[in-house]
Amino acid sequence: MFSPSVDNLVAQLTRLPGVGQRTAQRLAFHLLRVPKDEALALAHALEEVKERVRFCRDCGNLTEDETCEICRDARRDRAIVCVVEQPADLISLERTHEYRGLYHVLGGSLSPLDGVEPEHLRIDELFGRVDRNGIEEVVLATNPNMTGEATAAYLADRLRGRVRVTRLASGLPVGADLEYADEVTLGRALSGRREM
Amino acid sequence: MAGRSYKTEAVVLRSFRFGEADRVLHLYTRERGRIGAVAKGVRKTKSRFGGRLEPLSHVELMLHQGGGELQTVTGAELVRSHREAREDSYRLGAGLVGAEAMLRLFPEQEANERAFRALVRFLDLLDELSPVKRATGLDPLVLSFQLKLLWLSGYLPHVTSCADCGAETGLAGYSPTAGGAVCGACANGALPLSRDGLLGIEGLLQRPLAEASDAGLTDRGAREALGVITASYEYHGGFRLRTLSA
Repeated sequence: MFSPSVDNLVAQLTRLPGVGQRTAQRLAFHLLRVPKDEALALAHALEEVKERVRFCRDCGNLTEDETCEICRDARRDRAIVCVVEQPADLISLERTHEYRGLYHVLGGSLSPLDGVEPEHLRIDELFGRVDRNGIEEVVLATNPNMTGEATAAYLADRLRGRVRVTRLASGLPVGADLEYADEVTLGRALSGRREM
Repeated sequence: MAGRSYKTEAVVLRSFRFGEADRVLHLYTRERGRIGAVAKGVRKTKSRFGGRLEPLSHVELMLHQGGGELQTVTGAELVRSHREAREDSYRLGAGLVGAEAMLRLFPEQEANERAFRALVRFLDLLDELSPVKRATGLDPLVLSFQLKLLWLSGYLPHVTSCADCGAETGLAGYSPTAGGAVCGACANGALPLSRDGLLGIEGLLQRPLAEASDAGLTDRGAREALGVITASYEYHGGFRLRTLSA
């Protein structure tokens, strides 16, 4: 509609998650308006990230080296490993500043309906780390949905007896009103209540 | 054209991530059969849907039908959460086989009250299911539910006489081409089917879902019943259940 190059840019931007045709056009026109250096900095950043970023050999987190910053950090507690589905989950946990152990990124969750089986995730690597590295506790921090719970149950079954296995608590979000809680979440909060 | 909203009972058969914080739900509804809907923002911790739209949940939904293929969930009330079924790996495995069978056998937007009732009954029984010392796919409840779904979708295997020549004795195999059990003389290329298998399938078909465990299903009978179900899926629908091969 505009020119082959602009059409191509719009088409490429439309492939991004959450970006529709109109947003893609707005972004494309913004890139056409900004100075050339600024637009090329974005292109360079894209190129660099695809060339340099890879998965940590030990935990599966994103890194530019063989191992990630967290795995290299000598101050982290190496006896405890927190299992998450995606690198983005790891970032959320890091933002709490409550956890000082290591991580293990599975790369997804088990979903038989979608054909995601244990061999498609970094599960063998987790068992290898537990057996080799003197890990004392595995914290299962997969998502509190059906596939996340199924993954946690699968891992707990196989790790029980080898190491202490814990699961993130589940319940009401801080700051919310009980009145608006759904039955499933409130039910889990009740069954997971603790002594005060 | 402005869309319209309506209320219906539904079971969430499957869900997958969509966009930033949404999920696409595959639902089996009482009023319209199978439909697809988007639950917007359901993955956010502050979502008003909370945990109500997890797979296997039995819910009452407010849905909005716009111009697109997918409808939008605008409200959800829980009828039964089936949390007990989701939080036990054996029950979850059984529930997923049932959900996938529904997805494959009833893909159309067309109400089937009996299929909906069977699904709801299956999920209710699943909450109290005790594991048997067999694979999930060989559980009497799971086999019974699938046989009943085959019956409701018009693919019921005929097992009381030879589906080819009508002989009432000497049944020795199952032929999906013939549509049921076949006698020794007609069994060329058929799946072997013993007396245990025949009695097991008959017992499961005659009893309600709640009495599936009383059908006297032996290990051999369960394996053969599963073979008949799988062969029916392959012959009539051209599919295999992923959850059964997992």
